[in-house]
Amino acid sequence: MDDSNERKFQKELNGGLVGLVLLAVLAESDEDLYGYEIAKRLASANDGTSIFKEGTIYPVLRALSAGNLLTSRIVPSYSGPPRRYYRITEQGRGVLAEWKLIWQGTRDFVDRFTETENSDTGHSS
Amino acid sequence: MNRSAPRSIDQYLRQLREELAGADSALIQDALYDAEEYLRAEVAAHPDKSEADVLELIASTYGAPDEVATAYRDTEVKVKAAMATPRKEAKSAMGRFFGVFLDPRTYTSLFLMLLGLPRGIIYFVLAVTGLSLSAGFSVLIIGVPFFLMFTAICRVVSLAEGRLIEAMTGVRMPRRPVYQGTALGFWARIGEMLKDPRTWTTIAYFVLMLPMGILYFVIAVAGLSVSLSLTALPIIGVLGQAGWFGLGGVEVFSTAQPEWVFHTGFGIPLLGLAGVLLLTSLMHLARATGKLQAMFAKSMLVARTASSPEAAEPDAALAAH
Repeated sequence: MDDSNERKFQKELNGGLVGLVLLAVLAESDEDLYGYEIAKRLASANDGTSIFKEGTIYPVLRALSAGNLLTSRIVPSYSGPPRRYYRITEQGRGVLAEWKLIWQGTRDFVDRFTETENSDTGHSS
Repeated sequence: MNRSAPRSIDQYLRQLREELAGADSALIQDALYDAEEYLRAEVAAHPDKSEADVLELIASTYGAPDEVATAYRDTEVKVKAAMATPRKEAKSAMGRFFGVFLDPRTYTSLFLMLLGLPRGIIYFVLAVTGLSLSAGFSVLIIGVPFFLMFTAICRVVSLAEGRLIEAMTGVRMPRRPVYQGTALGFWARIGEMLKDPRTWTTIAYFVLMLPMGILYFVIAVAGLSVSLSLTALPIIGVLGQAGWFGLGGVEVFSTAQPEWVFHTGFGIPLLGLAGVLLLTSLMHLARATGKLQAMFAKSMLVARTASSPEAAEPDAALAAH
C-alpha cells in the first residue's frame, strides 16, 4: 500500500509541474524538439528514469500549444508517423517566467516546513 | 491492469484504444498518434533489441496503456476547464434567454453559418470534380494515382474543416491526421482507402455541405436582416419624428403597410420588441446549429475507432516493421 500512496502523491504533484518543466526544457533548447526527444531529455536528466511517465507529456504539449505558449511544425519521419516539433513562443517565455516565480515561492514555502527536521530553529528559517 | 502486458506496438495501440473506449473519438485519434510516434522512435532507437524487448520496458517509461489513457482523459478535462471562460449561469428564464448574447460561441457559430455557403461550394466542387475525374481517368494509366491524390486532398481538407469547427464551436475535433502506416504496398494502400468507410463518409459530407451551407447562409442572412431592421424601427421612428433622420426626402413610414400599426403610438415599439425577440431566437438557433453541425462533422469525418476497433483502422498498417 505504501508504494501506491507514494505514486499517488507523485502523480498529484506532477499535475501542474509537467507544463513548467516542458516550457523550461523548450526555452533552454536552441533547436525545435519533438515529443520523444523531450521525453528522453527529461529521463537523462534524472539518471535514465523520468519522474513523469513519458506518455503524459504529449497531451500537455498539445495543451500548451493550444494555449499559444508553443508553436509547432510537422516533419516527416522514416521511423513512424510524421513528427511534430515544438518551439516556445514569446508568450510562452513570459508565462514560464511567471510560473518559475510561483514555483520558487511554493518550493520555499514547502521547504520551510519540511526541512525543520534538520534544523532546531523551528518554523522560521 | 490484470491483462497481459503488450508485446508489440500493434498490441499496445489496441490496448490503449480499448482503455480509451467511450472517450471522445478525436481524443482517441490523437492519443494513438502520439503513442505510435513514441513507440516507433523507441524501437528505432534500439536496433539491437527486438520489438518485444523494447515493449517490455515501455510500462516504466512511456506508461502502461491504462496510465496513458488516464493522462489523456485528465488533461483534456483540465484544459477544457482552464480554457473555458468562467461565466455565470443565469438562473431566471429571462437571464437564460438573453444570456445567449454573452456567449462568444453564439457569434462564432453565426459566423460559421455565414461561412457555410463558400465552404459548401468549395467542398462540393472538390468532391464532384474529384469523383468524376477519377471515374473518367480510371480507364487510363493515371486513374489510380489521381484517385489516391484526390483522397489525400480530401483528408487534408477534412482535417482543416475539423480545426475550423473546433475553433468556432468548441467541439473537440482531431488535431492529427490518421496515420496509415508506411509498410503497405501501393495496391494494398488503395485497397485500404477504398475499404475505409471514412473515405466515403468524408466525400458524402463534402457533397452534403452545399445544400446545408446554402440553408445556413440563407437563415443567417435573412434572420439577421429582418430582426435587425425590426429592432432599428423604433429608433428610426423617433429620429424621423424629430426630423433628424430621413432617407433623402422619403418619409420613412409613409408607404409602410399596414398603416394602423405605424400610426398607433405603441405599434412601433411593439415591432421593435419583436425584432429583439427574433434576434435573440436567431442567436439561440445559431448556437444550436453550430453544435449540431459539429456533431454531424464528427460522425462523418472522424474514424469511429472506439466502437469498432478492428473495422476503422487497418491493423495490418499498424503492424508495420
